[in-house]
Amino acid sequence: MKTIKNILLMLSLLFVVTGCEGQIKNAKKETVKVYGNCGMCKKTIEKAANEKGVVKADWDIDSNMLTMTYDSAKTNPDAILKKVAYAGYDSDKFRAPDEAYDALHGCCQYDRPVKNTAKAESHDAHKGHDMAVSETKDVQGGLMDKVIASYFAVKDALVKSNGTAVATAAVELTKAIAAVPMDKMTKEQHTIWMKVLPAVKEDAEHIADTKDVKHQREHFTTLSANIYQVLKTFKTNEAVYYQKCPMFNDGKGANWLSKDKDIKNPYYGSAMLTCGSTVETLK
Amino acid sequence: MTKEYKNMIRMKLFITILSFFLGSIVVIAQNTKEYDLYINDTIVNYTGKQVKAIAINGKIPGPQLDFTEGDIAVIRVHNKMHHETSIHWHGLILPNEQDGVPYLTTAPIKGMSTHTYTFPIKQSGTYWYHSHTMLQEQVGMYGAFIIHKKGEPKLPEYTVLISDWSDENPHEIERSLHKATDWYAIKKGATQNYLEAAKEGYLGTKFKNEWKRMHAMDVSDVYYERFFINGKVDDEASQFKAGDKVRLRVINGSASTYFWLTYSGGKISVVGSDGEDVVPVEVDRLIVGTSEVYDVVVTIPDDNKAFEFIATSEDRIGHASLWLGQGVRQLKQPLPKLKYFEGMKMMNDMMTLGGNMKDMGMNMSLQKMDMNTVMYPEITGKAGAAKEIMDMKHSEHSGHGKSDTGIVTLNYSMLKAPKKTTLPDVPFRTLKFELTGNMNRYVWTINDKAVSEVDKILIKKGENIRIIITNNSMMRHPMHLHGHYFRVINEHGEYSPLKNVIDVMPMETDIIEFNASEEYGDWFFHCHILYHMMSGMGRIFTYEDSPPNPQIPDPEKALKVVYNDDKRYYLSAEIGLESNGSDGEIRLENTKNFAEVEWRLGFNDSSGYETEAHIGRYLDKKQFFAAYAGWDFRYHSSEESEKNLFGQASTQAKRAVACVGLIYMLPWFVETDLRVDHEGKTRLQFKRDDIPLTSRLRLWASWNTDFEYSAGSRYILTKYWSLSAHYDSDMGLGGGLVLTY
Repeated sequence: MKTIKNILLMLSLLFVVTGCEGQIKNAKKETVKVYGNCGMCKKTIEKAANEKGVVKADWDIDSNMLTMTYDSAKTNPDAILKKVAYAGYDSDKFRAPDEAYDALHGCCQYDRPVKNTAKAESHDAHKGHDMAVSETKDVQGGLMDKVIASYFAVKDALVKSNGTAVATAAVELTKAIAAVPMDKMTKEQHTIWMKVLPAVKEDAEHIADTKDVKHQREHFTTLSANIYQVLKTFKTNEAVYYQKCPMFNDGKGANWLSKDKDIKNPYYGSAMLTCGSTVETLK
Repeated sequence: MTKEYKNMIRMKLFITILSFFLGSIVVIAQNTKEYDLYINDTIVNYTGKQVKAIAINGKIPGPQLDFTEGDIAVIRVHNKMHHETSIHWHGLILPNEQDGVPYLTTAPIKGMSTHTYTFPIKQSGTYWYHSHTMLQEQVGMYGAFIIHKKGEPKLPEYTVLISDWSDENPHEIERSLHKATDWYAIKKGATQNYLEAAKEGYLGTKFKNEWKRMHAMDVSDVYYERFFINGKVDDEASQFKAGDKVRLRVINGSASTYFWLTYSGGKISVVGSDGEDVVPVEVDRLIVGTSEVYDVVVTIPDDNKAFEFIATSEDRIGHASLWLGQGVRQLKQPLPKLKYFEGMKMMNDMMTLGGNMKDMGMNMSLQKMDMNTVMYPEITGKAGAAKEIMDMKHSEHSGHGKSDTGIVTLNYSMLKAPKKTTLPDVPFRTLKFELTGNMNRYVWTINDKAVSEVDKILIKKGENIRIIITNNSMMRHPMHLHGHYFRVINEHGEYSPLKNVIDVMPMETDIIEFNASEEYGDWFFHCHILYHMMSGMGRIFTYEDSPPNPQIPDPEKALKVVYNDDKRYYLSAEIGLESNGSDGEIRLENTKNFAEVEWRLGFNDSSGYETEAHIGRYLDKKQFFAAYAGWDFRYHSSEESEKNLFGQASTQAKRAVACVGLIYMLPWFVETDLRVDHEGKTRLQFKRDDIPLTSRLRLWASWNTDFEYSAGSRYILTKYWSLSAHYDSDMGLGGGLVLTY
């Protein structure tokens, strides 16, 4: 009996705690203009403004007016309009960040009330990425030319953590591997190539088969180790750097090859872009 | 010697003496600039709650003090409070007794008294001042101290003094930190509990993290309700026009917060740090450590908008904005929430089971490799929010810099002094400082010793000191040196920048060097996170053969006051009132020692009564290991005599024994407690407290070799109150309330 009483006591306590939700308290209403176009805008604006039990927002497509009912003890119109602006929509008080506006769907890109008059700074962050795909020349008479080039393409895509691009580059790599002219190799080269070929092929195929960067990186560890073996025997005219990330693979570390001396870590990408060091320079 | 020659010498001497006199006249003619600062207790209301604070001339922050290089500063501080205070001039080169560390360099300013600071201004740039007494800095005692170059052209400039605010009394914050409260994490949504971990697929990571005895990691410890720029959440500087290049003098005057600085009007050009000029460098963002100073130049690109310069707290729970220009407010996208589990995963790799950090041979230094980057969604891509973006069908979004690394973040290797900063050609003395500490008990030290536990470090006037600082703790530390600039050795060699604060990230090793160029006195070197400094993270440099300091008449007694800061005891308690009885403990502890009383009281004889009281001491560096002595008393009416695991008979009915014991924290925070009493009876107990199941639900269990066991749960309602239910082998099932103080 006592236990039941206790349980009832606990339950009633819990109700006091959880029973506080429902209608908006200290409700105030305000209507302001928020610029937008369409039904999709309405959805985005209201979603950004709404907060359960605190804010209820309604945006009218025709008049572009946003009616906010809010708990004046917990928030204010400025805070709500900021959230709307972060989602890409201008009001007369706040102008959305350009990147938020640019990210809106095409049909939502309304005519902004205040334009950018200053010359927009060009985003040259991407400049130079396309050149990254290797122009490696004359790797032992070009025997490994294509393999190395497509290996670097895979590596560069991994640096960007772009699983789709990695897969695409790996398809090229599998083709390049299949096309290596074995008849032109020296005996020593042939031996090495035959030794690593099954593994290299398998890794390249696995990388091509998935868009999961994590999985791709796992195969990239062994792929890199084998390509390194290949490069040792086939020699390169241009310097290739053998680089190491000490953290990957639960701290066991993993290596990769690069044409650049500067570290651009394919195992973590931007998360740890410059993590790692060059362990050997192949020439 | 000819007469003429003698005359000539006499003449020369005369001229020398004359010029000497003239020189001193010039000194006298120096501009004296005077300020009066009135310090008052005050009440503020920032959040709808009335809270005590301290104001200078009625304001928070205090007034900006402006000087020109070459001035003589005369600052009278009128303490209108009934308790003592002090003011330290952060970054200034001045005579030791003007430095303002109470009891160490300068007399404390007693209640209702006035203290006058007088010192020549020998430098230029952005500096600030703050109280160096207890936790007064947290509640408003700070202000900007700006020194202009002589004949400097007047260019657009604005001071940006950033601070953090909590409605909670700072002493209560400090006590809570020492108790390792997770209330702040609950408020921040950063408890990193098991349910959350399971949902996001990090269950293994969370377990491994606790296995290595790490509490949920965060980038900062305290929950702040507000962040301010010049005392406001939104500060406005509408006087600036398109094309203006505005010098922002950014001072982080917070007690324990780092801030990210970003700007919606374009790039930020960094032109100075800690008052000294650096070769301008353009960045997209920078982090400014607690007490650190940066001078940056931003351009107002457009006339019909107000551009947002934002200071976002490192934990990203809040920000303060400065609006530059006039018109519609051009927002900057806020920094997204941290991906805590990614950070946890990274920490797991970096932390040994023994609690040491290993950098895996990466030679980290100078903020170049920010391991926290794994937690930054703006750089490494969104985690949970990714789905949201997907269903909004914004697939073209990905091409627009979100997951790209185009963002340029400032680090110390990018700072270059405009002039050579090499030290005089005299021998170097090298010191090694390892920044140490543990989050569980909030003990922060250098080389595992608090300020009070080591002697002052003697330095000789004129010698060069090189300090190799390694951070072996999980938090970053802004280390500040009083009264001297140090060089932060970086790739610019002879042009390494001069600073007086260096942020050392976990696992980093940095080298700083300075010349002992002062005349005399004691100079503090400490972590500028207020609560770290107060727990003892610092050292005192003292010049050999310093003359007695007239402001410190009894140096030995005064030093004890300084040392007392990190020797204080903190009270904590957990008191349960449940339907089957009362469980609880009250603890009093400091850096190394603890005293505790525990009880389990049933409501009747058959459920029994037990109390234990111990005093003890932590023995190892990481404070996993402690020894104690004390007494136990128990009464239990059950007739049967039981045997424990060791075959010893238990006379549980009524026992009063003295005991000694050892406590060791096993992996996964399992506390083992082995004790033996004066009758020779042994007991081994295992207990795991506070398993964070959800944000507010905690589980716990314990078992011992007397075959007593209990398990329970606690649902946290407020900082001090929880609902609880537990089962105990003696007292049975019960439920009720727990007070956690």
